Amino acid sequence: MPDWGRTTLELMVQELQHPVRLDESFDRRVMVRVRRIYAERRHRGIIGWLGAAASISRRPAWAAALAASVVAVVSIGLIPHGGGKRDAHVGQTIPVQFVLVAPDARSVAVVGDFNNWGLGDTALVAENHNGVWSVSAPVHTGVHRYAFLVNGKQWVADPTAPRAAGDDFGQPSSALVVEASTQ
Amino acid sequence: MEGPTGMDSSDAALVARVLHGEVNAYSALVSRYRDKYARYAVHMLGNREDAEEALQDAFTRAYRSLARCEDPERFGAWLFRILVNRCRTSGARRVRRGQTFVHDETALLNASEEHPAEQTMWREEIERALGELSADQREAFLLKYVEELGYDEMAEITGVGVSALKMRVMRACDRLRVLLREVHSA
Repeated sequence: MPDWGRTTLELMVQELQHPVRLDESFDRRVMVRVRRIYAERRHRGIIGWLGAAASISRRPAWAAALAASVVAVVSIGLIPHGGGKRDAHVGQTIPVQFVLVAPDARSVAVVGDFNNWGLGDTALVAENHNGVWSVSAPVHTGVHRYAFLVNGKQWVADPTAPRAAGDDFGQPSSALVVEASTQ
Repeated sequence: MEGPTGMDSSDAALVARVLHGEVNAYSALVSRYRDKYARYAVHMLGNREDAEEALQDAFTRAYRSLARCEDPERFGAWLFRILVNRCRTSGARRVRRGQTFVHDETALLNASEEHPAEQTMWREEIERALGELSADQREAFLLKYVEELGYDEMAEITGVGVSALKMRVMRACDRLRVLLREVHSA
C-alpha cells in the first residue's frame, strides 16, 4: 500500500518511473529488421538511381528493329588500361574500361564492390555507342566483384568474366582482378 | 563521448557511422534507448506486446529516415517523437479493434517478485486508473510527470500547443485523483 504521507499522485508517478526492462532479444529483433532494410535499400538504391539515369539515356532509333529479341548481352571484355608488367602496389588505382554489348538496352550501368554497389552517386553509367555500352573508372588493385545493371533492373553478370563465388544480392556477379601497373 | 573501444560513442558519432554504411553501429543506439523508451510505450499502450511492437517500429522508422535527423546529437529526442506518434497510431488502432486497455501482466508479475502483494495491488490500481484516461490525457500526463519533460519539449514532440497540454495534464491529474480515491475508499 502507498505511504499516505505523500500525495497519491506523487506515489503513482514514483511507481510509474520504475524502469521497464526489455531483454536483448529485442535488440536482435530490431537489428534483423534494420539489416533487412539495409539490404533492400542497397538494392533499391541502385535501381532507383539507374531509373533516373535511364530517363536521360537515349534509345537509338535503330534499336526498334532489334526490340523483338530478348536483350542480348554479350560482353566484349574488361580491358584494363596500362596493362603490362604485373606488380602489386597496394592502394594503386588502375583505369578499367567496362564494356557490354546490349543493343536493346535503354541504360547500362556498372555496379560493384569498388563503387559501393552503386549506392548514392557512385554507380557508373555507361555510354551507348551503337549498342556497345562502355564506361571507364579507376579501380583499386585487388580482387573485386561487379555486375551490369541493364535498364535499371536487370542484373547481369559479365558472361566472359569468371563468376564470383557467392553473391551479394542473390544475383550472380563477376570477378575482376585488377593488377598494378608499373608504367 | 568515448566507448570501451576508445571510439566516439555519442549519438551523433553513431548516427554518422550508420549513415556511412556501418549498419551494426545502430545496435548501440537501440541498446541505449531500448529500456528508457519502453517505459513510456508500456504505460501508454498498457501492455508489453503492443509496446514492444511500437518500439521496434519506432527504431526501424528512425533507421529508415536517419538521413533526415537534422540534429544527430539529439537522436534520442527525435526517436522519442517517432515513438510517441507510433503509440498514438497503435492506440487508435486498438480502439478501432474494440479492445480495452489491458494491464501489463509481465510488469505486474515482476513487481510482485520485488514487492509485497499490496504493492502489486497498488500497481494494478495505477494501471487501471491510467487506462481510464483518454489517450490524449494519458500521453500528456506521462510526458509531464513520468518522463519529466517541460511543456515546450512536450509541445515539440506532440505538436500540441502548450496551453492545451497544460489543460490535458490538469484534467488527467483531476481524473486520476478521483479514480484512485474511489479505489481506496471502496
